[in-house]
Amino acid sequence: MRVKVLGISGSPHRHGNTETLLDAFLEGAAESGGEVDKVILKNLDYVPCRGCNACHKTGECIVQDAAPPLFDRIFGMDCIAVASPIYSMGITAELKGLIDRTQYIWARKFVIKTLFFSHEHISRHKGIFISTAGLSWDNVFDAAFPAITAFFNTIGFEYHDNIIANEMDHYEGILGHPTALREAREKGQSVVREIERLKSR
Amino acid sequence: MTIKVLAFAGSPRRGGNSETLLDWVIEGMKEEGGVEVEKVVLTEANVNPCRGCNACEKLNKCVQRDGMDILHDKIIDADCIILAAPIFCMGICSQAKALIDRFQVFRSRKFVLKLPVVPPERRGKRLGIFLSTAGQNWDYVFDAAVPSVKCFFHVIDVRDRDIHYLMINNVDEKGAILNHPTANDDAGKLAHEVISELRKRLEM
Repeated sequence: MRVKVLGISGSPHRHGNTETLLDAFLEGAAESGGEVDKVILKNLDYVPCRGCNACHKTGECIVQDAAPPLFDRIFGMDCIAVASPIYSMGITAELKGLIDRTQYIWARKFVIKTLFFSHEHISRHKGIFISTAGLSWDNVFDAAFPAITAFFNTIGFEYHDNIIANEMDHYEGILGHPTALREAREKGQSVVREIERLKSR
Repeated sequence: MTIKVLAFAGSPRRGGNSETLLDWVIEGMKEEGGVEVEKVVLTEANVNPCRGCNACEKLNKCVQRDGMDILHDKIIDADCIILAAPIFCMGICSQAKALIDRFQVFRSRKFVLKLPVVPPERRGKRLGIFLSTAGQNWDYVFDAAVPSVKCFFHVIDVRDRDIHYLMINNVDEKGAILNHPTANDDAGKLAHEVISELRKRLEM
């Protein structure tokens, strides 16, 4: 069975630096035989989490929009690549809005305890974080990692790797970056091969 | 002359822990007298996320017409700006992140167009407060929120050293903060401290 890879683009800006980097990763994944698809969050109809905690009783989200079906789709994937540019030292409101909606999955795991991911399951499901930032600071991605870690932990994916490139302002965009696109492509190729190896065991 | 305070309640949950903390600070400020507080509930304020179009770098204004049109001047006029927001999934809730990202228009004004955000005589006389609550009891649960909060204040001419923080962890269910041993007192003290400092700086 082919390795299924889903790219999730959290940028409001179509075909910008972050989405281009995501595309390079997905191209690499496809070159290794992966079945790839991409979701554009800004075209998806979902609202942020209301913080109502109703899911702590039922394990279901009371908001019926495009977010729960997207999580169902994610559960059918072997690899997801979550992409967001850095805005104001964090991920975009679009991606954070989606991540916050995983509360009902978290509640299934930790409040009502109907969901459990084995170590084996987690190690076979790979999560990649893809990001770009205009600033040159080494620490510009640091405040994004904890929410991405929380996201992958909640949905039972291993936080496998980052594909990140800063100094976009200096390079005048991702196409001017010396290594980022090649790195993304190679990582797309290798993660599919690694998942294939794990699945064949 | 009155001290103007603009307070953002960023949580989608009305009357929850972060909003209660905010209400305590507002109450404390009003007790000081001569303070005018406007509270804005973000879920009702119609603030969309930033589109990342960078048009503000040229236009000096945002191309989106929404709640920010009303808030823009209030943000500039206030002597003290308060942002209250809970931590969801190890970061600031997305409603508050949307507001923070919309401050891009101030960032463009300040760093790209090199125009003043507040008149020169008001620089160094604005204070910020970040109030937050989190369900987890980890002491690092607020760490990833702080850099975005610094951006939020930095671009509207509130200096890093002029941001006051009150962040309470281990309060999850609605009302949990009511049982916190120090939060209410800390909020009152913070309100007093900030208003006293503003009086000094504004020479009132």
